[in-house]
Amino acid sequence: MAERILKRPLYIIVGLLSAAVIVLLLFWKPTVVVYGVQRAGLYAGIALPMALILGIVHIVNLAHGEFMITAAYITYFLCNSFGMSPFAALVPVVIVMFLLGMLIFKFTIKHTLKAPELNQLILTFGLAMVLTQGLNLIATSQPRKISLDFVTSSATVGETTFGTYGFIYDLAAVLILAGLLFFLRKTKFGKAAVAVGQNPRGARIIGIDVNKIYILVFSLAIALTGIMGVLFLTSQSIFPLAGGSYTMKSFCLVAMAGMGSLPGIVFASIGLGIAESFIMSFQGYGGWSNIVFFALIIIVILIKSFKGKR
Amino acid sequence: MLEINGIDCYYGKLHVLRNLSFKIGDEAVGLFGPNGAGKTTLINAIISLIKPAAGDIIFDGENITTSETHTIAKKGIALVPQERELFPEMTVYENLELGAAFIPHVKNRTAERLEFVYNFFPVLKEREKQHAGTMSGGQQRMLAIGRALMADPKLLILDEPSLGLQPSIVSELFEKLAEMKKHISVLVTEQNVRESLKSVDRGYVLENGEIALEDTAENLKSNPHVIKAYLGI
Repeated sequence: MAERILKRPLYIIVGLLSAAVIVLLLFWKPTVVVYGVQRAGLYAGIALPMALILGIVHIVNLAHGEFMITAAYITYFLCNSFGMSPFAALVPVVIVMFLLGMLIFKFTIKHTLKAPELNQLILTFGLAMVLTQGLNLIATSQPRKISLDFVTSSATVGETTFGTYGFIYDLAAVLILAGLLFFLRKTKFGKAAVAVGQNPRGARIIGIDVNKIYILVFSLAIALTGIMGVLFLTSQSIFPLAGGSYTMKSFCLVAMAGMGSLPGIVFASIGLGIAESFIMSFQGYGGWSNIVFFALIIIVILIKSFKGKR
Repeated sequence: MLEINGIDCYYGKLHVLRNLSFKIGDEAVGLFGPNGAGKTTLINAIISLIKPAAGDIIFDGENITTSETHTIAKKGIALVPQERELFPEMTVYENLELGAAFIPHVKNRTAERLEFVYNFFPVLKEREKQHAGTMSGGQQRMLAIGRALMADPKLLILDEPSLGLQPSIVSELFEKLAEMKKHISVLVTEQNVRESLKSVDRGYVLENGEIALEDTAENLKSNPHVIKAYLGI
């Protein structure tokens, strides 16, 4: 990996430029970098499971963010009904999400695997609507939040004071990335998943149970969105429609990182996170931060299509 | 070893294989016939990539007609598909490794199988770290055969192994094939009848989904129909 990067001068230039920008920002607006990195952790944590199913085994899931929000709601009700701490709810939520992923795969997505990709898009778009409206019906559209006192913890370095709880997303993202890389490179099951992604027919004839791989990888990704859903609830207020924007952002991060590149997700997230938090640092211009995301997407797609022409 | 009893296969309404039966013992068997005769369909039926509408497929005394492809692979049938079906973004080594990883009786003998395959195709050892998708057609074909051999199969099926290869490599390939049949049973489909008749013991000629001829390789070479239709003399 490292050698491949060094061989491409473009990557070095982009890397050095971004490093320079970050250092400049650190002096000018240090909180932008801190909050940007925290945001990046959240984005990366949610986009990584999508990179697993979209980039590795090529299943399109337009209901990705909605699964995350569903997990957040399950956590909310567990915490409210049983007085659980959200971190204690992590285990049951992950198990429930894994099983939910299995059920949804078995009854819906499995039947679209051999059909054109458009069918998968329409199906999962429908799933997203069912999940959102289902949550609306059960939990109403009223925003929900749980208050935890450690969420407001802060630290002071020099003259700047910033919230530290958001780093939990970075921790989660790093753990998910490390776990997925280990899974894909070192375990037999992970290698089988990569093989299925590259050639399902070839995988079948060397004795890999392709259907089992699909269902387990999909459920694993949904279980990982469950982890992010639990963490999301601890520091943000949730409402049924909150998931949609994360679906879109995850999609774009996967596209920016390049299909199948998991570490790329982390870099793309840092870029997006810092850019967004930079715009938000200007009073009254916070709403423009969504523009950043669209601008980045357009730039990345343009660069990629130019590269393709050469 | 492999016994096919009266199978019928359809693609939609198209009747591709008609009440077809044949047998493979401890030998190398060739399956010849023009394009569209049903050779690849027959192979796909053996490894259950398509399900026959009627008839049985028995492997080692066990009915595998409705088994799934991956369980058939685990039982000892390895396929080298016409399209090779490699993992293009993995290295040669990784492709070979996966060939043994999911087959119960060889998964703990990867090193031993790897040595066997590297002996057979030394070029694969030289290119161990190269990505499969970047190799030439002939090398990819060797890799596909190597990957199938990693599984130490009882029956090796090769679907048109000479397709798209230059003549010198084709004759080298069939020399290797003649060597392989000392260890395992081989079923090979071919349009290059002349070369493959040198390395098989017996042959079937498939025409319009039916067995038109069945004989030993020696007799097929002198059969007037075969000479006229396939050897082109």
